[in-house]
Amino acid sequence: MKIIVAIKQVPDRDAQIRIDSAGTWIEESNLQYALNESDAYALEEALQLKEKHGGEVIVVSAGPERIGQTIREALAKGADRAIQIDCDNMADRDALGVARLLAAAMQPENPDLILTGLQSEDLGLGQTGVIVAELLGLPHATLILHVEKTETGLTVKRELEEGWFQSIELPTPAVLTIQSGGNKLRYATLMGIKRAKTKDVRRLTAAELVPSNQTAVPVVTLVQVTLPPKQKSTQILSGTAKEAAEALVEKLKFEMRVL
Amino acid sequence: MILSLPLLAEPQHFSLLEKLSFAALTIASAYGFWRRFGPILNKILHSKKDPGFHLFPIGRRIWDFVWEVLCQAKVVRERALPGLAHAFVFWAFLAFALVTLNHCAIVFGIGFLSPSGVIGRFYFYVAALFAVTCAAGILGLFVRRFLVRPKWLGEHLSWESGVIASLIFALMATYLASFWVIATSPAARALWWIHSLALLIFLPLIPHTKHLHLVLSPATIFLSRGGFSQIPPLAGDEDFGLVAGTDLTQLVSLQAYSCVECGRCTEHCPAANTGKLLNPKEIILGVRAYLNDLGPASDQPLLGKYNSQQAVFQCTTCGACEFQCPVGIEHVPILVGLRRGAVNTGAWEDQHGSKLFLALERGSNALGLSPAERDKFIQKQALPIFDGTQEHCLWLGCMGGYDPKGREIIADFARVMNYLGTSYGVLRKEKCTGDPARRLGNDLLFQQLAEANLEALAQNKVKKIVSICPHCVRTIQEDWKEYGTPPEIEHHSEFLARFADKLPHPSKNGKDSADETIVFHDPCYLGRYRNVYEQPRAVAALAGTVIEAPRNHERSFCCGAGGGLAFLGEETGERVSHNRAAELVATGAQTVGTACPFCNTMFRDALAATGDAPPKLLDIAQLAARGLPIAQSD
Repeated sequence: MKIIVAIKQVPDRDAQIRIDSAGTWIEESNLQYALNESDAYALEEALQLKEKHGGEVIVVSAGPERIGQTIREALAKGADRAIQIDCDNMADRDALGVARLLAAAMQPENPDLILTGLQSEDLGLGQTGVIVAELLGLPHATLILHVEKTETGLTVKRELEEGWFQSIELPTPAVLTIQSGGNKLRYATLMGIKRAKTKDVRRLTAAELVPSNQTAVPVVTLVQVTLPPKQKSTQILSGTAKEAAEALVEKLKFEMRVL
Repeated sequence: MILSLPLLAEPQHFSLLEKLSFAALTIASAYGFWRRFGPILNKILHSKKDPGFHLFPIGRRIWDFVWEVLCQAKVVRERALPGLAHAFVFWAFLAFALVTLNHCAIVFGIGFLSPSGVIGRFYFYVAALFAVTCAAGILGLFVRRFLVRPKWLGEHLSWESGVIASLIFALMATYLASFWVIATSPAARALWWIHSLALLIFLPLIPHTKHLHLVLSPATIFLSRGGFSQIPPLAGDEDFGLVAGTDLTQLVSLQAYSCVECGRCTEHCPAANTGKLLNPKEIILGVRAYLNDLGPASDQPLLGKYNSQQAVFQCTTCGACEFQCPVGIEHVPILVGLRRGAVNTGAWEDQHGSKLFLALERGSNALGLSPAERDKFIQKQALPIFDGTQEHCLWLGCMGGYDPKGREIIADFARVMNYLGTSYGVLRKEKCTGDPARRLGNDLLFQQLAEANLEALAQNKVKKIVSICPHCVRTIQEDWKEYGTPPEIEHHSEFLARFADKLPHPSKNGKDSADETIVFHDPCYLGRYRNVYEQPRAVAALAGTVIEAPRNHERSFCCGAGGGLAFLGEETGERVSHNRAAELVATGAQTVGTACPFCNTMFRDALAATGDAPPKLLDIAQLAARGLPIAQSD
């Protein structure tokens, strides 16, 4: 099974985010980056499929020089090779623009399966994977927690609202966007990092993948980004321990809907 | 007076047949020795070279040799009676070196100690004294092994030990008896021959049994890495720790063959004492069995048939085993080495372990919380930010920055520092020191954390660190050295003890706490790892009377948190923390004093489980802060 995983480098969850002077993006200097969380689960799913059925896992990512670090991490976790698309002006591209790059890099590989995270932690559009499927003319399914290979194609477990799941069968090749939490992620190992040094990373440029006459003006543009306003609303539940506990359960169930 | 004592009787002449038989038997005995010892030596020498091994500075090695081998200090100190019995046997062996040489030399008429000469007579009498104490010692050890049978010696009676003890006894008895016979008598000749045969049977038995330690352990002690629990660096791109036989280093192999199976390590091991699979003695014997069966060139995994991965990950790295070992075996580097082999190659799969590693890969702390939580705590406590002008950098650590109890300790320690007028500040950002990653054998993660922290400290121009956590102290001071030069660091017990006379002393002022009894629990990483025992007691004494638990100082029993185990979920068997908490409660102390936030968090739950009115649990910083004027409290 030849599996391609599209991954994205995003600002680290713990990074201190500042808005840039133009107010349209975040200040990227001194920012720490990491692998997008749901992409990590997509990679894990791909690695587990490969361990079960054999084959190859290829990671693809587009972005500036710094994404090399994240690509090496993916290789260290077990991907076999990588395609790195050099592209400095990522902020100028909308989801369609990015998907065009990824699809153009993926097409010659003729993969059996394309996986990517459900959405990115920075923009959170949730579009890229779906548009890739559209551009390549492949069937797709979103919000996938588990993938099972069958004789004719795939059976996938899809997450719906309110704790419901949907089981779908689809033929291969296909594109799936993976939801976080379906698998247990593996930790990076020293051996993985050392082995990753010798793995093949093919460098492509945006210009050679998508000719300039096809780079359309972005359909979607970022007008303004702002930090979320700080708000705090602590409630003290009064009464006896029993009453307070009852009130808490009530709130967790019906207000927060976490129980 | 000396003239009235009998002389040692030596047979005067030996026939050609005797000479030839003795020579033949000696050659056979030496051959028997070498046939077994040669391959062992070969396996040790053909093991991998130890990365980062230096013979120098040699002073420490000579001192260890004199103190631990010649003086038998560790053997005696940690097990007084059997230790002394062993020391008597050992010292007699030393004294008998010349006697034995002379004994063999006289067959060929080249004896150099004359029983009637002044030097010879004197020497033989000295040796006779050693022979008496040795005979008594070996008899005592025989009784202990075969009649008292302490469980640490193992369930199976070792018949070889019985044979060896009998031979040693025979050697001493025949020597002493030679003073009471006439040199020309057949009895003298018979004694000489019995003595010789005992010697010649003894020699080939040495490499056959754990008595191999006679030959190897002096070298093991001399060559040990030194320090305490020194984890060696990995060498090159293909070294992932102890994965297979090819990864066993010369020191590991030497140590494996030196084990005397006394079981002191097991006797003090928190895992072995609470029903876990891990038994440190068996780990070492597992490595030895691997070497015997497969040798150091094998690529078969070390974990599996010979040692269990589960056992290796039950170690709290408390170091009690290594501290106790009388033959210089460094258990912790071996256990951590086996973990490195499993983690660095991804062979270790553990739900909690993976969670911890992932939290540290992407986040900043072992608790997996957002660093914003630490920022909030710093703001709430109004802790000054380190800006390069202050003398001390107060290292919060994961526990101090994120754990509720750890935060209480930091808050009180800050109060004390404010009271003393110490200039200090905390870093805006800190990452875990990498202690749990280091002890669990994740070298990649440890390196990333150590390097990130070293860079941050250098950028902030930190010169001196003070920390409430012995694990942070150890990791920063010793383990980070592999990746740079860490700033000077001390534990808050050392800091507080220096200022003890400047701190209020309520226990002397007749306040409420005057009669309070405090039992101090020695944290492994402060005591055995750092050799700091008295400073925390001096600080605790500010608040009351310090009493001791049965297991204290270097024999202190682990709380169960070390070696990353605090993050690995529920234990099998009895909880280590409960075992220790019961012991602390049994002292009747009103307060349990700790000096480590991990011990504190373990005992928080364990003490509550001991009964309805458990003793109070306070860190020494909290004890020191108790007497401060209330005005200082904010």
